[in-house]
Amino acid sequence: MNVYVCVGSSCHLKGSYQIIELMKKALEENNLTDQVSLSAAFCLGKCTHGVSIKVDDEIITGVSPESFPEIFQKYVLTPVKG
Amino acid sequence: MNNLCVDLGWRSINKHGEQLCGDRVQIVEPSADSVVMVLADGLGSGVKANILSTLTSKIISTMVASNMTLENCVQTIADTLPVCEVRQVAYSTFTIIRMENNEYAELIQYDNPLVILLRDGKSFDYEKTAMEIGGKTIYKSKIQLKENDTFITTSDGAIHAGIGMSLNFGWQRENIIEFMEMMYDKDFTAKTLATILLDECNKLYGYQPGDDTTVSVMKVRQRRQVNLMIGPPSDPADDEKMLGLFFSKEGKHIVCGGTSSTVVARFLHQTVQPNLGYLDPEIPPTATIKGVDLVTEGVITINRVLSYAKSYLEDNEEYSKWSYKQDGASQISRMLFEEATDINFYVGRAVNPAHQNPDLPINFSIKMRLVDELCQSLKEMGKRIKVSYF
Repeated sequence: MNVYVCVGSSCHLKGSYQIIELMKKALEENNLTDQVSLSAAFCLGKCTHGVSIKVDDEIITGVSPESFPEIFQKYVLTPVKG
Repeated sequence: MNNLCVDLGWRSINKHGEQLCGDRVQIVEPSADSVVMVLADGLGSGVKANILSTLTSKIISTMVASNMTLENCVQTIADTLPVCEVRQVAYSTFTIIRMENNEYAELIQYDNPLVILLRDGKSFDYEKTAMEIGGKTIYKSKIQLKENDTFITTSDGAIHAGIGMSLNFGWQRENIIEFMEMMYDKDFTAKTLATILLDECNKLYGYQPGDDTTVSVMKVRQRRQVNLMIGPPSDPADDEKMLGLFFSKEGKHIVCGGTSSTVVARFLHQTVQPNLGYLDPEIPPTATIKGVDLVTEGVITINRVLSYAKSYLEDNEEYSKWSYKQDGASQISRMLFEEATDINFYVGRAVNPAHQNPDLPINFSIKMRLVDELCQSLKEMGKRIKVSYF
């Protein structure tokens, strides 16, 4: 699975740095670093609803530290664990 | 003609407790390929010294700029400047360096510490001829220039640094030469070299300078061009034209902005590979496109570059950050402030609809203003700037 976190200007201002850190931590805690590749993405084109992330081909917007656990569970953890 | 140019940078610190500096540096460029630097040190300190040195440097630079001979200028100074009533000695001491066509330098030195010339990083003993003008002994030299020649001019505050404090007799010209030979790096700019020496003097003074201290550095270097693109053109039909021109330019290429890098990658038939490393949490990560030297985010990164540029023009305090860090803003700063002498900006005026949100401090007019201010600051650094809008 490929996960991209948008680091465009707008998402950056809304906290891409924090989301990347949260994502790194969550992947480590769940021992998923082998199965999930994490990278940065330049603008995903959803600037007004940042932070945006992309999981494989699906773009998820409005990621914040508050909504992160739920989004991680739904889009990363559940699909990977099958 | 050769492909050399002169990089010039200077800094002063005031005598402890004084509001005004009694040293004065004036720079004039009488023509495109000649530059004149005058460093005058007014007698005493404070207001009087400031007026004397301003008067001296201004008279000399104005006269030199209108193509009068250096002898003539000196004669005028000797005849016109007032004599100090308290000390019965005259005016201010001065050093004039005039560089012509980046081929030779003419030096006129009156009572300032003798100019230090570093050639390939080592002190070079140049010839001096003593002359009497208006009853004053003046040293004159004419030196054929070579690449990396570095002329270090100081006021006597530099050689007096540390007297009675950390050193018994101050540090002599020889000590300054030794120090600068040790610190020399051919990639340092004139401003950086001046900062290094001035900071050392300030340290020797225990940060309470006993005299106004000024260091001015002129460095002969190769011209080097760097090209920076920010923003896609307002009409996407111009993509090819803008990028064709941009990539036809010699020198390094910097691309700023997410949308811009996508457009560039398409043009080059490459992909954008963003780097995950957030080296500075405040600056978005850089990316890689094959064929481009540096790819960064746009407005936030440029905003930081602008603040580094402003610091460079003032006290150069932020140098310790941008001089080595690997984030986008630091890398751009090094390329523009240190490497480049000629910078071509390719500015696209496309409006990113997603950024026209009142909550975001990155809208279109802010981007245009940032580019304008950055160009202005780079001009003040002595760079040749060309801006093309699309």
